Amino acid sequence: MTVLKNIAAIAKGMSITFMEMFQPTQVENYPDGPGPLKGAKFQDRFRGVHVLQRDENGLEKCVACFLCAASCPSNCIYIEAAENTAEHRVSGAERYARVYNIDYNRCIFCGYCVEACPTDAITHGHGFEIASFNASGLVYRKEQMLAPQPAHMGANAVFNHAEVASGELGVR
Amino acid sequence: MADVNITVDGKKVAAPAGTLLIEACKSAGIEVPSFCYYPNLSLQGACRMCLVKVEKMPKLQTACTTVISEGMAVSTDTPEIHQARKSMVEMLLGNHPLDCPVCDAGGECELQDMTFAYGAAESKFIDIKNHREEQQWSPVVYFDRPRCILCYRCVRVCGEGMDVWALGVQNRGVSSVIAPNKEDHLECEECGMCIDICPVGALTSGAYRYKTRPWEMRHVGTTCTHCADGCKTTLGVRRSDTGMEIVRGDNRDKSGINGDFLCMKGRYAFDFANHEDRLTQPLIRKDGRLTPSTWEEAFELIGRRFKEIRDSAGGQAIGVVGSTRTTNEENYLLQKFARVALGTNNIDHHRTADFPALAAALRGKPEATASMRDVFKAPAMLLIGNNPTEQHPLLAWQIRNNVRLHKARLYVINSEPVKLRRQAVNFIQIPVGSEGNVARFLSGDDSAAGSISNPTATRDAWVALRDKLRGEQNLVIIFGSEIRGEDIASLVKFGSAVPSAKFVCLSDYANSRGAADMGLYPDLLPGYHPMSDAGKWRDEWGGVPQTPGLTLPQMVESAKAGNLKAFYVVGANPVGRLGIDAFSFSQRFVVVQDMFLTETALIADVVLPAANAYEKSGTVTNTCGDVQFLQKAGEITGAKSDFEMTVRIADAMGFDVSKLVPFSRGTHSDMGQSRGAQSGEVDRHGVWLEAQGLEPKMSPFDPTAILDEIQRLVPGYGVSRANLLAGNDQHTTLSGSGAGVQHDPALIAPANDTLFTSGTLGRYSRALNSVMENRQKQPAEEVAAD
Ligand code: SF4
Ligand code: SF4
Ligand code: SF4
Ligand code: SF4
Ligand code: SF4
Ligand code: FES
Repeated sequence: MTVLKNIAAIAKGMSITFMEMFQPTQVENYPDGPGPLKGAKFQDRFRGVHVLQRDENGLEKCVACFLCAASCPSNCIYIEAAENTAEHRVSGAERYARVYNIDYNRCIFCGYCVEACPTDAITHGHGFEIASFNASGLVYRKEQMLAPQPAHMGANAVFNHAEVASGELGVR
Repeated sequence: MADVNITVDGKKVAAPAGTLLIEACKSAGIEVPSFCYYPNLSLQGACRMCLVKVEKMPKLQTACTTVISEGMAVSTDTPEIHQARKSMVEMLLGNHPLDCPVCDAGGECELQDMTFAYGAAESKFIDIKNHREEQQWSPVVYFDRPRCILCYRCVRVCGEGMDVWALGVQNRGVSSVIAPNKEDHLECEECGMCIDICPVGALTSGAYRYKTRPWEMRHVGTTCTHCADGCKTTLGVRRSDTGMEIVRGDNRDKSGINGDFLCMKGRYAFDFANHEDRLTQPLIRKDGRLTPSTWEEAFELIGRRFKEIRDSAGGQAIGVVGSTRTTNEENYLLQKFARVALGTNNIDHHRTADFPALAAALRGKPEATASMRDVFKAPAMLLIGNNPTEQHPLLAWQIRNNVRLHKARLYVINSEPVKLRRQAVNFIQIPVGSEGNVARFLSGDDSAAGSISNPTATRDAWVALRDKLRGEQNLVIIFGSEIRGEDIASLVKFGSAVPSAKFVCLSDYANSRGAADMGLYPDLLPGYHPMSDAGKWRDEWGGVPQTPGLTLPQMVESAKAGNLKAFYVVGANPVGRLGIDAFSFSQRFVVVQDMFLTETALIADVVLPAANAYEKSGTVTNTCGDVQFLQKAGEITGAKSDFEMTVRIADAMGFDVSKLVPFSRGTHSDMGQSRGAQSGEVDRHGVWLEAQGLEPKMSPFDPTAILDEIQRLVPGYGVSRANLLAGNDQHTTLSGSGAGVQHDPALIAPANDTLFTSGTLGRYSRALNSVMENRQKQPAEEVAAD
């Protein structure tokens, strides 16, 4: 009797397994999916690698106020400011960030920097493939995070840093 | 004066009659906000932030203009007051741009603080803000008009404090605007006091412009290295590719001898430290050219050559020139190195005042020198010679403000109509070069009156002046390097006829006084002890060369004659500054330690790149004798401190460096294991140990090991170590000095620096150069108060 009972239990269990096998897939098909995101899907609010935005004229929005660096709990933002001149204009205001580094060895993707920014210059993109065997490569420079020129993508666009790094999105 | 009793927020406060309510509140620990009120400036009553409620008075009162009276009951924080202040902030913000993120004052702005405190974040105005372009008024002063809140602090500090009167107000009412003296630009002393005092970012500094933000820098309190006044200055430092970059000099910490003050040089001329011409590698002359080399090669060469020359031709074949900008420890070490390791008394420096004569004259007279703080408090001052406005900006500030605030009497005797005559009760112009006669006349030698009398200052007028001066109490007698040798003795003789007279002898460089005190003289040991009185040092060092050595001009002669075979110059530029003949040193072994390839470094066989005063710790002594601490701000890759280099040279000569620097002494109770200092945090345990003299000196490069020796042996330097480390100034007197020696007055060569020059250093400062260029385009004129 117990043998029959056991067989029934297994059959019952397996029936669920077999039933699920023919349902549509519920998980994301990363990294075998189609498109630049390789099947990864994000909520809009996902906090990935930062994007430094540009304004409607293509100028950098960041004015090097250092507020993001001040608010950062892991102290991973490094900025050097410089003055815009008529010949060399980088941002819309009087000053711009000549150097803007984020150290992704330390960033905890908390979003405080985004919160602090008075010009909405820094936002979280959706880049997440940043694992590396080389820690020094995790210090991202401004050029790696800057939104492409011209700025038609708007804030919080679906954005993958690998494409930026590879030049696919036309970063200067 | 009897104290007046008042009640502030229920707290009983007693303060002298005549105290302003805002100050009385402050003394009780209650802060009343203010924009236009600033201590020691005239009252303005313009901003109405300081409104408080005084019982029995119908309306709110401005605490900054109300004088306390007996029984006053005051509340400083009621809903009514809060509301009033909030509306004030709201009004100010009505036309104030919201550009805090790019404003250089952001983070240090009093208007920001007030907005946080009173929360007038929302505006009821719908009109468009009135925008005006920012203006550059001078290479270092920028003005952003919409940010100005019209507190008039800048106008008052420039006029009352600086006596320059370069800023004024145009128009009236809401259209008032601060304006510079020359329509669209300034012609002034460029002191930057107006920038410092501006509560908002309306006046900003050209040197610090858009570089960083206040909270991003490390702030290091140290001592200015330009003139001999020794202002305390705070350097803002950040990391850079070369190790560190000084981005700002200012005066956050107002506890120094300079109070609110800094001059152009202290505020902007730190940029020589990051000049691209700085040496970062030792240079050795090979085939006639200075070629980069390694430190090992350089030290080995210097050590070998010095040793050869000393052993073959004797110590007298080596000449050493010390610096007037290096620390006391480095100067002391250098003369000890010369006397002990090289075995010579041939050591000198660029002398800019006759301190040995003053020390000799004041010997055994306690309290006969005035500190920089005394100058601000003295009831009467006599200034003979010098032009402090140009050469001693802080001293001039102290004198001016003492006259203005304390009604001190100033007597000025000068060969030029110097600017300080405007504060003087009595100004007498004398023929050039007759300052010595003045000293002799004052001391009672009436025969000297002839050469200084003229129709405007008759003999009788001189006699009247002398009588008047003799009747003063606590007179501070300030004299320039025009008075030397015997004349100093005359002046001191006159001083002893005046009750509690004090002296200030004016020298020119940041540590000229220290160089003299530390014995950079061929015939004087530290503390002005002549060679005949070498007892203490002979015991300590195990021997001191007996015969006095050569002065700098004698060294040049000796080199010409072929007797001097090596010349060791530390942080000095005798070829450029004293015009010595560079050719005398061809075929001689010349070693120069400097930051730049100066005229002297160009003739050297070995040039060693040196750190400057902002890159090392140690003590310096200003011209009054106030000892202060230099706090290391950072270091540039490639340079070494003069201290380390001298020790390394001694080591390369095969000399036992523990005989030079008494290291490995001290209590070895704690080798640092028990300390918990994190990066950037003060090592309190270490500071305490150091203050108690318990810190083990583990390294031959530790200047505090030499400081121990200085404090033990040099009279007057036994000051509190804890106070030094805390950044406080401490006065040393000359009363315990040795007997001194009469020197040839011709050995003194004044630097004749102005507000915008600083010896050899000045030409490596971009800020100073840009102001100088600007000046040449438009020479400044003296503006009087109207
Ligand atoms: S996300 Fe957080 S940790 Fe990362 S840079 Fe921004 S503030 Fe710093
Ligand atoms: S990203 Fe934003 S917060 Fe950070 S420095 Fe730039 S403007 Fe300021
Ligand atoms: S820099 Fe000094 S002298 Fe010039 S305007 Fe400002 S306060 Fe006056
Ligand atoms: S410039 Fe600054 S100090 Fe001068 S009145 Fe305006 S706010 Fe006050
Ligand atoms: S007065 Fe002298 S010590 Fe003071 S800041 Fe100016 S140069 Fe430096
Ligand atoms: S501080 Fe009193 S009115 Fe400005």
